[in-house]
Amino acid sequence: MLSGWLFNVCFFLSVLAARTVALHAEQFDEELTLRPLRDGKLAARFSFTTLLKGVAPRNPERLDEDDDSQHYTLFPLALGQILREYAVTEMHLTLNAGNWAYDRWGYPDDLGVSTGAELWAWMGEGGPVTVDDRWKGLRNALAGLFCASLGSLDEQRTTSPALTFQPEGSLPRWNASHQLRHATLPSEHVCTENLTPFLKLLPCKARSGVAMLLNPHRLFDADWHGLGVHVRYLDAGVEVRLAFQAVFDPVRLSSDKRRDWSLRSVFDRTIDRACPVARSSEVRVELLPDSAYAITPDPSEIDGNRATYAVKDRTEPLDVAMRWPGEEAFQYPIEAAPLSPLSVRRTLKGSSQSDAQLSVVIRNNLPVQVRSSYLETMPWLVEFYLHTLHADIGGVPRDDLVSVISYTAPVPHTRPTLFQAILTLPPKTTLHLTMDVTKTFLRYTEHPPDAQRGWDLPPAVLIPFDFGEDPIQNHTTSPGTSAKYARPARPRRIYTSVLLVDLATPDFSMPYNVIIMSCTLIALIFGSVFNLLTRKFVLVRLDGDSAEQKPDVK
Amino acid sequence: MDFRLAFPALVAGRLLLAYTSLPDVLKNDHQLSSPLTSYSRLQEGVYLFQQGFDPYSGGPFRHSPLLLSVFSTVFPLTRFTSPILWTACDAVAAWALVRIWRARQNIAGSMRDTLVAASYLLNPYIFLPSLAFSTSSIENALCLTSLMFACQGRSSAALMALALLTHLSLPSILLLFPVSLLLLTDPFSHLAFPRPFVARIPSLPPLLAEFTAYFLGLCAAATLLCGNTTWVEKTWGAFLLLPDLTPNPGLWWYFFTEMFDHFRPFFLMVFSVHLLIYALPLCIKYQHDGVYATYLLLGVLATFKAYPTLSDPGLFLSMSALFPETYPYLRHPIVTTLLHLHASLLLPLFHNLWLTQGTGNANFFYASTLVFGMANGAALLDAMWAGLRVAIGEMRGECEVAQE
Repeated sequence: MLSGWLFNVCFFLSVLAARTVALHAEQFDEELTLRPLRDGKLAARFSFTTLLKGVAPRNPERLDEDDDSQHYTLFPLALGQILREYAVTEMHLTLNAGNWAYDRWGYPDDLGVSTGAELWAWMGEGGPVTVDDRWKGLRNALAGLFCASLGSLDEQRTTSPALTFQPEGSLPRWNASHQLRHATLPSEHVCTENLTPFLKLLPCKARSGVAMLLNPHRLFDADWHGLGVHVRYLDAGVEVRLAFQAVFDPVRLSSDKRRDWSLRSVFDRTIDRACPVARSSEVRVELLPDSAYAITPDPSEIDGNRATYAVKDRTEPLDVAMRWPGEEAFQYPIEAAPLSPLSVRRTLKGSSQSDAQLSVVIRNNLPVQVRSSYLETMPWLVEFYLHTLHADIGGVPRDDLVSVISYTAPVPHTRPTLFQAILTLPPKTTLHLTMDVTKTFLRYTEHPPDAQRGWDLPPAVLIPFDFGEDPIQNHTTSPGTSAKYARPARPRRIYTSVLLVDLATPDFSMPYNVIIMSCTLIALIFGSVFNLLTRKFVLVRLDGDSAEQKPDVK
Repeated sequence: MDFRLAFPALVAGRLLLAYTSLPDVLKNDHQLSSPLTSYSRLQEGVYLFQQGFDPYSGGPFRHSPLLLSVFSTVFPLTRFTSPILWTACDAVAAWALVRIWRARQNIAGSMRDTLVAASYLLNPYIFLPSLAFSTSSIENALCLTSLMFACQGRSSAALMALALLTHLSLPSILLLFPVSLLLLTDPFSHLAFPRPFVARIPSLPPLLAEFTAYFLGLCAAATLLCGNTTWVEKTWGAFLLLPDLTPNPGLWWYFFTEMFDHFRPFFLMVFSVHLLIYALPLCIKYQHDGVYATYLLLGVLATFKAYPTLSDPGLFLSMSALFPETYPYLRHPIVTTLLHLHASLLLPLFHNLWLTQGTGNANFFYASTLVFGMANGAALLDAMWAGLRVAIGEMRGECEVAQE
């Protein structure tokens, strides 16, 4: 009797568990893309995608109700809790170090290559908690989760450049609309303390699968490296993609200046076993079409210029290696056409600590006219003089090529500048943009501890979006580089390098002295004035012993 | 020299200077224009307004909406028109100074007219800010115009000019006390023969009411122009809250750069209230001479107001040309002159060393602003002493004047 009852309960529970699992079907895919670059470097991109099927982001209007309980097997719980708590629909966090060289490396596999920390999120409006409060909670929670100074991405750095940062997934159809919050912190660095929590979010940690290669000693030695967390809502469910990108320099690592590489030489590790819960686990190598290379072991599949290794099918450790047997030593390409449609150089000119000039030089590498958006999100440390914005091509003024579409002026100590413009770039020309800026003066408490180092200013972001018709292309036999860029699948962001601005500093040891000296001067004048105003004038006879007093002027 | 010849010559010389490249060099100088009077920021505000952005949504633009409307419609700011306007402001101010002098002496013209005009037009503290197209030149012109009308007994015009001035620069509201004193009495010099103020108290409220009406009218016009009241916080609020810590020759900026955050509101209150303290006592003590009371209060404002430029002390120093009767009784004129000379050499030098050369630090410039504050204070005290001392007259025998 009792056993029958117990059996029933167990059966019921197991059915319930099965139903829950069925509700939250999760799938995990991992992938490593290796891309030998033209200048001998090797770009590696790790991508770990977890898809939580049939789940929608939390509606902020139901934030005051109890949330559905969260039972995940593969989906990172720590991240999931943050997303539910602050009702985040889409979120992108990147922590990078170094400048991505678009000219030599082309577009990155993951577009977020802004130097330092960048966080942007789309969140629904409405409900008991405002978007700004949830944004504050989100960045503080992520700061705790990833051990990064994301708490500094406060109102003084937060903007809403919705044109440049369009959602990458879809937005649920709720009653209220969605809002974007975006902030960058270029001075933030990425290091082991950020990678460790990152690895903890993976179902197999770094013990198996391609994540075995995430060796901090090698990753943070790379010329460029950065990690990213991307959450978006797809029709299938909520997708979390953890990514790590790095650009290694095999020539620097090798003793005889060759660009040969292998997983062992680059990461100092091999992939010994597959992650058992991964649905797919692949290593992809992009092959250079025009060089004599040898790749070992034999790929599971070759599709065009891409060799694929399925880690799951292998029994022995995987150590992909690529060699160029015909090369004695790697010769750096001296004059090679840039791989990106636009080459951008942004500088801050002027030696004064009060004024400067922002100069942006943009070269259109394509033989077609390109229209591009241009975004500046500048902290209030630097104020733009928009009336001095000028564009010229080879010294000829072409202000008609720039149209300002939105501008939010900075508020000292409170709000950053947001400046968005559309640039029209004629084919194969270089556009010079200049604008006078003024540097602000900060309170002594607002300076960082190393004040003389200066402040890092966020990168500008360009998105080339409208590629004109190429008049030559129809007549030429070989569809050259232009055809490749003519119709990209979706607009891709180009980040400029960050700037360092030197702000005037007060003397940090002086607060008491300044208060004392200024107050002394004020008190001296105040006292003398009221001395003159209140005391009577009298005549004093100097030689007589009885002073004759003559009151005067009341 | 004949005034009718000298005045146009001085103005023409000023105009020619304004058409050289000097303004481009000077226009961003922190000593000549503050964030509230800067020409670049005015241009920026006009540009934003014309492009359809609200110039008062951000921090860079802090000029009055009235200036914004004038310069975005009837008077475009270009490299050709600006020198004309700023020279005209100086000419009007100098002309008003001469008229004040004549009204004070009750004469139609004198040999001193040229000297009085030159004391304004050739004062480097006045013409350098004017060459930098600082809107403090407009404020000075309004101030002297208001005083001129008050001397001529034209109360409505004087109060209108004062309301405009107050609208452009909030601390100038303190001038309402001496200007209404002047309107109730006469402009003649009574320093040597002081007499108590004959109370005509019942005629005071209509004056104040008229000023309030003008002032509210201007506020309403400004609010209509902007469509909202954010301009109040951005323009007048800056005088009280000091959001922009750009260096200037005054005493506030470094004090509040170095201020502990939790004491900031307290000291902002103290510094603002401190300015208020002087107005009434000065008016009571110098009740026999409204022009002199205005002059002294301008000296106080030049020393202690929130965003001063060199043209504020310049106005005070130029106005001293109106009171030759006090010159023999200045207590330490040489010390004051040397202090001013010292400060005017140190200010540009240390500003350059700190911000351009990078070889000095902020304390260099702060120290020179202290010297400048000392010089302004010494000039003020000198003028106060002489204004009272002149009543006793020349001393004969072994007597000395002292204070009880």
